[in-house]
Amino acid sequence: MMSGYWIPIAIFLPILGGVLIPLIGFSRAKTREIYVLSVVLATSLLTAGLMIAPPEGAVSVVSITRTIDIAFYVDGLGTVFGVLVTFLWPLATLYAFEYMAHEHRRNTFFAYYTMTYGLTLGIAFSANLITMYLFCELLTLVTLPLITHTRTKAAYVAGVKYLIYFVAGATAAFVGIILFFVNGGGLDFVPGGLSAGTVDMAPGILGASFLLMFFGFGAKAAIFPVQDWLPSAGVAPTPVTALLHAVAVVKSGVFAIARLTYYSFGAAPLEGTLVQKIALSFAIFTILYGAIMAWKEVHFKRRLAYSTISNLSYMIFGILLLTPAGLVAGLLHMLFHGIMKIALFFVAGAVACQSGLHYVTDLRGYGRRMPRTFAAFTMASLSLMGVAPLCGFMSKWYLAQAAVARGGVYAYLGLGALLVAAVFTAIYLLTIVLRAYFPQKGYEAAGRPEAKDPGLYMQIPLGIFALAVVLLGLFAWPVAEWIRSAVAGTFI
Amino acid sequence: MQEAPFVLLMLTDSLTLAFRADVLGLAFLTLALLMWTAVGIYALRYKDHQENNGRFFAFYLLTLVMLVGLSLAANYVTMYLFFEMMTLCSVPLVLHNGSAEASSAAKKYLFYSIFGATLGLLGLFFIHAYSISSDFLPGGVLDAAKIAGNEEMLRTIAFLAVMGFGAKAGLFPLHAWLPAAHPVAPSPASAVLSGVITKAGVFCIIRVIYFQFGAAFLRDTWVQRSWIAVALLTILMGSLMAFREKRLKTRLAYSTVSQVSYILLGLFFLNEAAFAGALLHVLYHSILKDGLFLSAGNILYQTHLENVEELKGLGRQMPRTLGCFAIFSLGLTGIPPFAGFLSKWELAAGALSSGLLPYAWLAPAVLLISAMLTAGYLFPIVIHGFFPGRAYRSEGPDTGEAPVAMVGVVGALAAATVVLGLFGAPILKFFLDLAGTIFL
Repeated sequence: MMSGYWIPIAIFLPILGGVLIPLIGFSRAKTREIYVLSVVLATSLLTAGLMIAPPEGAVSVVSITRTIDIAFYVDGLGTVFGVLVTFLWPLATLYAFEYMAHEHRRNTFFAYYTMTYGLTLGIAFSANLITMYLFCELLTLVTLPLITHTRTKAAYVAGVKYLIYFVAGATAAFVGIILFFVNGGGLDFVPGGLSAGTVDMAPGILGASFLLMFFGFGAKAAIFPVQDWLPSAGVAPTPVTALLHAVAVVKSGVFAIARLTYYSFGAAPLEGTLVQKIALSFAIFTILYGAIMAWKEVHFKRRLAYSTISNLSYMIFGILLLTPAGLVAGLLHMLFHGIMKIALFFVAGAVACQSGLHYVTDLRGYGRRMPRTFAAFTMASLSLMGVAPLCGFMSKWYLAQAAVARGGVYAYLGLGALLVAAVFTAIYLLTIVLRAYFPQKGYEAAGRPEAKDPGLYMQIPLGIFALAVVLLGLFAWPVAEWIRSAVAGTFI
Repeated sequence: MQEAPFVLLMLTDSLTLAFRADVLGLAFLTLALLMWTAVGIYALRYKDHQENNGRFFAFYLLTLVMLVGLSLAANYVTMYLFFEMMTLCSVPLVLHNGSAEASSAAKKYLFYSIFGATLGLLGLFFIHAYSISSDFLPGGVLDAAKIAGNEEMLRTIAFLAVMGFGAKAGLFPLHAWLPAAHPVAPSPASAVLSGVITKAGVFCIIRVIYFQFGAAFLRDTWVQRSWIAVALLTILMGSLMAFREKRLKTRLAYSTVSQVSYILLGLFFLNEAAFAGALLHVLYHSILKDGLFLSAGNILYQTHLENVEELKGLGRQMPRTLGCFAIFSLGLTGIPPFAGFLSKWELAAGALSSGLLPYAWLAPAVLLISAMLTAGYLFPIVIHGFFPGRAYRSEGPDTGEAPVAMVGVVGALAAATVVLGLFGAPILKFFLDLAGTIFL
């Protein structure tokens, strides 16, 4: 078992490492790459060690008052999210090196990019509501310059939108936390939440604080009506959209919802309440909304962004079913979707980088021009569509089984939404694949004529993800069982 | 007693990819292999008419692979997987000639197929949760204890799942892709699309009704009545649309919509006679429709003519093709002793003996009307082909009969129509015996 003090070290290493980049001021790309990759890999190794041999109990770093402190711990739920983040960050960093080769101000970019790693880990390993809140806020602030990096008008507009949504969300979450705390709710995360203790909170207070926190933290999870920042964020460089907005930021939102539902409130106090129904309704609506908007959208990255919005609500739906099967299913989809969506975004970025094209209607015949890239795209698409035995089918299977087992109007509505969304998903992904491989006779390929498969730094992650969707599908059952044991004890 | 299935992959403790060769599966597999071979021989000659043959034959064979997996699937999820893969592998066949029309037809095909498959997936989710076993078992697998109180919900799910798989079989209202997709594909592909791939939808419906929900669960319910009503509607609608349609391949596609619903009608009556008639019609229709599409292919290959009205006097130039076309027409209309009569007879007998009013007498009436319409949309082609009338003057060049290999395959199918028609009784007995093992 590792000592607890490694937890803040793992979190602050990339933050410090990132801060140093503009201070050192790398002039050669190669040196910067080596530095950044070293920091990221060191963090991943350290975090892996922490998750394999977790320290007992929480470690408090700063005491704000006697009862409020900044503290971290490594538990099952945190490990589930942590695994996703630690696995993806080095691969995304490699990809970013190649993508950013033709962008400016790379020292500042990689500074913020690396700091974000630490902040995301901080969210994963938060031991109480205040810590999670703090790191969510810092995440917003540090990712903002990444969104506005290209300094175009569209980028600034997206940045302002981003800021408004998250400041509003943060305010709501904060009010919710205060409301919860002064009425006897514990700030520390405990499996089972309120069920673990003897607190008797008035249903009105319980409901109000839950909804405030749900939509406050849920802004990051892009649930309707606080989802609109995500499609605009497509204006950021692809490594940002891919990692942050398909993995780190949005999954932080889903993670936060899972954490507060099961470790602050508890399944039993929320079961059958009006707020559960409200949360489920918004999730179900968002599933459909995202899928339909993705189908209508022709901008490649924005289509994927809407797809993310839809898929995030699959996870929220699973989590808010408030059954063990639902929680496991939601978390399984969190893992699997992260991998599928980052692969899809990476393809969009590679295509944009090579050909200068941003719209799906322009991609006629690109299956031939960029064969390996589109092979990866096809694998990830088939998986996201739900073709067995790839991982996307398996997480949908678990979600569906959880819904059928629970029964009731909301579960069935959610199942229906899932299936309708599946049809749209197939259409908005397959049309891209078909256009790439089966262009009409006499077509002319658009974009730069020298477009071809990108370099190794992009191909290696894509290849790994294409393999991963197969392997994770075949081994979905052990992964689900691992998640089940990780969150054991949350249902009291 | 059934043998244990061969488990290829355990996805979870209750979800496996597994295969088993039972009589029904082997029968369907044999049909698919035979038709694929016959049409394949045809295609090897026809390919001189088209480009990108490597791609064509690759997907032609891949689709067959998926059909093999489908026939031998031992449980619902395996069947669903191969059903989806079959759709994906057959889309490039529809897209093949690269035209805008093909592109649009392929999108329609994809949308309807996926929508239908998703309804099938809904069935899978519920069957899995409410069954004793996820395998295909004659009589169904529903767990009486688990379903108690939820019967109506499960009946609704069964209804939706069958309507979903019915999309592949051209069942109203999910049929609209068929008249768009079948004609625009190269003729060999049209033949297997209409002749075999639609039957994959039929096969899945058989599995879902008889091996998952169980006929007893659905007999005499609103579900059964609705299915029969929809099938009857499709039969009439398909025949009427075929009658009005001028483009030959589209006319044949509407004919498929109508004819495959004869098969579905037989399945929906949930008795042994109708079931056997339905299976016999699967066999007969495959041969007849493949023959018709390949004849249309011959005509296209030689003359590039697409519309029925242009085929006047064709009999002088292509007597063998048109002669075979005549035989297929007689069969499809249901004239004894050609293949097609006995299956319709048994379907009608099954309907009459079902006692399900008003469908017991309505179904045979609809079958009769449809037969007249079938004659109406097929016979004139033959008649005007051989007897164009005194006012007819031949317009195009006389390019002669189609190549030997192509005529040979069409001729073989015509011969099969005659032989299988004459010897229909033993085949029907085989299907009746099979029905006996399924209706428990």
